[in-house]
Amino acid sequence: MSGPLAGLTVLEVCDELGQFAGKLLADLGAEVTKIEPPDGSSARRVGPFVKDIPGPNRSLNFWYNNTNKRSAVLDLEGSEADREAFRALASTADVVLEDRAPGALASLGLSPESLRAANPGLVVCSITPFGQTGPWAGWKSSDMVGLALGGPMMMNGYDPEDAPGAPPIRGHGDQGYNTACHYAAHGILAALFHRHTTGEGQLIDCSMHEALSCTTEVGMPYWLYARQDVIRQTGRHAAAQRTEPWLFQSKDGRHLILYGVGRDNDSWRRLKPWWQSHGFGLQFDEPRFDAPIARQPGRGSPEAAEIMAEMGRFIAATGADEVYRGGQERDQAWGIVRAPDETLQDPHFHDRGHFVGVTGEGVEEPALMPGAPYIFSATPWELRRPAPRLSEHTEEVRAEAARAAKS
Amino acid sequence: MPDLPLSGVRVCDLTWIIAGPTATRVLADFGAEVIRVEHAQAADAVRFGRPIVGDRPTMNNSGFWNYINRNKKSILLNARHPMGGDLLRRLIAESDVVVENFSSGIMASWGLDYPQLREIREDIIYCSVSGFGHSGRDKAFTTWGPTAQALCGLTFTSGLPGYPPAGWGFSYMDHTAGYSAAVAIMAALHHRNQTGEGQHIDISQIEAGIVLNGPAVLDATVNGRSWRREGMPPGNRAWEPRVAPHNTYPCAGDDRWVAIDVTNEAEWAALVMAMDEPPWAADVRFATNAGRLANEDELDERIAAWTSEFTDYEAMELLQAAGVRAGVCQKASDKFERDPQLAARDWWHEVEHGELGPVTYDGVLPRLSATPGSVRTAGPLIGQDTHAVLRDVLGMSDEEIAETEAMGVLM
Repeated sequence: MSGPLAGLTVLEVCDELGQFAGKLLADLGAEVTKIEPPDGSSARRVGPFVKDIPGPNRSLNFWYNNTNKRSAVLDLEGSEADREAFRALASTADVVLEDRAPGALASLGLSPESLRAANPGLVVCSITPFGQTGPWAGWKSSDMVGLALGGPMMMNGYDPEDAPGAPPIRGHGDQGYNTACHYAAHGILAALFHRHTTGEGQLIDCSMHEALSCTTEVGMPYWLYARQDVIRQTGRHAAAQRTEPWLFQSKDGRHLILYGVGRDNDSWRRLKPWWQSHGFGLQFDEPRFDAPIARQPGRGSPEAAEIMAEMGRFIAATGADEVYRGGQERDQAWGIVRAPDETLQDPHFHDRGHFVGVTGEGVEEPALMPGAPYIFSATPWELRRPAPRLSEHTEEVRAEAARAAKS
Repeated sequence: MPDLPLSGVRVCDLTWIIAGPTATRVLADFGAEVIRVEHAQAADAVRFGRPIVGDRPTMNNSGFWNYINRNKKSILLNARHPMGGDLLRRLIAESDVVVENFSSGIMASWGLDYPQLREIREDIIYCSVSGFGHSGRDKAFTTWGPTAQALCGLTFTSGLPGYPPAGWGFSYMDHTAGYSAAVAIMAALHHRNQTGEGQHIDISQIEAGIVLNGPAVLDATVNGRSWRREGMPPGNRAWEPRVAPHNTYPCAGDDRWVAIDVTNEAEWAALVMAMDEPPWAADVRFATNAGRLANEDELDERIAAWTSEFTDYEAMELLQAAGVRAGVCQKASDKFERDPQLAARDWWHEVEHGELGPVTYDGVLPRLSATPGSVRTAGPLIGQDTHAVLRDVLGMSDEEIAETEAMGVLM
C-alpha cells in the first residue's frame, strides 16, 4: 500500500457527478469500494468507448474516473439483504461518498444519519447539484447546467467581431463535476483531520452550484466591490472593459496565448535582438520603448500597443514551437493552445513520469493517460490497478460485509 | 464559535498571485492559521489587482486580493535581510506546512529547498506549486493561469467549431492548481497524523490541468482520435455522452441565455410537454436521440425560437418544473441579486475590513455538520499581524521586536 491515504476505507455510491472525488481519494491510496447497481453505474454508459463498442467495461470515461477502485454490485433499491450488507460495510468504513439526489439514500433506509449512528467516526459526504437544502435542492442538473448557473460560462466566449451573437461557452471535460469533487475532497480531508483529534465523524453537504459560484476568479469581486459584471472576450479574461487581444496565430496555424512583454528590462533586452534578427521590431531601439511602464499592456500605452502589433506580425511569420520556446527561454510565460491529447507529445511531462499506462477490455498493450496532479516525496501517487470491471470485487466485498456484520 | 476542522494547523504562506493563495484560502477557511509572509518592496501584484475600491491602489484596497485572502494573517518580513532570513526560519520551525508558488529554483536560491526545510523542521509538509514542476527538462519555464490552460488542453476544448478557442474567460487553472494543492496538503497532513512523517509535494500547474481531460487523452491513445479534428470542440453541444438537445439558447432581453440538457427520452418528452407540444416536435426525425443528433441544427433553432419568448429565469423554472435539466447562464450580479438557492443557503457573508469597512464574501463549502468552515476575517492589511505573530508565535519580546523593526527587517 502506498499513498498518503493508505489504510483509509471509502464506500462510494457515485455516478458521473461524484466519481472524480472517489478517484482523488483512491489515487492517494485509499481503499475505495464502488457500490454499483446490477446494471452498473450510469457512468459506464458514457463514451468514448474502446473502439467505439459500448459495454460496461469499455467506457474510457469510466476507466479514467475510477482508477484504483474496487467494484461491488449491491442492489440497494431491490434487496434488503444487500442494504444490510451496505450497512455492515458502512459500520466499519471511514468515509461514505455519495452523489444521489437529496433524500434518496434515506428513502432506502440508508440515511447518512443512520449510518453515522452505527459508526460515530464515519464521515459521510454527499455531493449534489445544489446542496441538501434550498428551493433548488430537488432540481436536476448536469455539468453544463452547473457551469451555467455557477457563473463560469457567462465569463467565457467571444468578442462580437469574432463571433457575432455567440453564446457563453462551456469548456469541456466535465469541469463542473471536477470542481465539485475537488471541494468534496477538501471537506472529507478536513473532517478526517478533525476526527483524528476527537474521534468524531460528521456529515458533509457539498453543492456543485456553490463550488462553481466561487470558481469565477475576478467575476465575483467585480460585482462585490465595483457592482460591475464582466464581459466575455475571445481567448482571454473577461473584464469590466474590453482589453487587448492575447491570442495570436503562428505561421503554422497554431494559436498562442501571450500577454505583452511586461516590465522586466533583462528579458526585454533579450527579446529585442531575437525579433530584430527576424526583421521585426527594428524601431524598438528607440528610447521611448526603454521605460518599463510604457511596455506594460493594459494601461493604454501606445508603445505597448505597438509592441503587441509587431509581436503579432513576428508570430504570424514564425512557427509556434519557436515562438513558445523562444519566449520561455527569454522569461516570457507564453503558451501554445494544445488539444488535450497533444500534451502527450511534450517530453517534459514524460521526464516527470506524468503519463501512466492502462489496460482493459479490448486494450492489451498499455495505453497512456494522465497520472498524478501532484508528486509526493514520501507517499507516491500510484496507479495500483485500472478501473474495475463491473462487479469485479463483489465476492470479496460481500465477504467483508459478512465479517463486519458479525463484529 | 464551533471548532474548526483544521484548528491547530499553522501554515507559513509564501504564496502570491492566485494559485498559491487559493490553496491557502481553502486551508484558512477550514481553520488553519495561515500566515502570509509579505515584503512591501516586492508586494503581491494582486494587492494592486482590479477591481480596487477608490481611485488609486493602496495595497489594501484590491477587491480581488481581499476575495482570495480572507481568514489569513499578514506579516511583513524582508527575507533577504540577514536577520529576516533567520526570522523566516524560526517561523518555519513553528509551522506545520510551508506553501509557495514561485518559479522552480527560487526557494533553493534562498537556502530553503526541501532538504534545508527539513533541517529546520523534520516533519514539515512543503508544497510547491509552479508552472512546470520542480523536475523535467523545462522546469525553468513559467506559466500564469492562461498559459497553463493553453498548454494543458483546457483552452482548446472551450470554443465553437471553426472559431478560435474561447479560452475560459478566467484563470480556472489558478483555482484548480490551488484546489489540487489543498487536497495534497490535507492528504499529507493525514499521513503525518498516522506516521509522523512530513514530505515535499511538487505540483505542476499544467499537470494539474492535464488530469482534467483524461477521457480525451484516452480517446487518442486507445482510439487514435485527437480532439484536433473538424467539428471539435463542439461548443455547447455534448461530446460524451452524445445527446441532443444539449446547448445554450437565447432568452428575452440582452445577452440572456439558458442551458438545456436532455439526456434521455423521458426528459425529451418532458421538454416537449413544457413547450406545449409544438407540431414540429412530433416530427419522427426528433423521436430518437440519434434522430435529434442528425438534425441538431434545426432542433436547436426550434428550441431557441421557443426560449426567446421567455426571460431566462422563466424558461429555467418552467423547464425544471417539468423535470428538464436547465439553468440560466448567470452573471455575478444574478448570483448575488436573483439566485434564490444561494440566498436560501446563506451564501453571502459580511465582515469588517480594516480599510474598506464592511465587505461581502461568498461562503465556505462544503458544509461540515459538526465543524463547518467559516468566514471570520477579511483579507488582512499588509503587515497587520507582524507584531502579534512575532510575539505570539515566535515568543519575541516587545524590545526584540522594536529592535528588529529598527533594523529594517519588518518591511
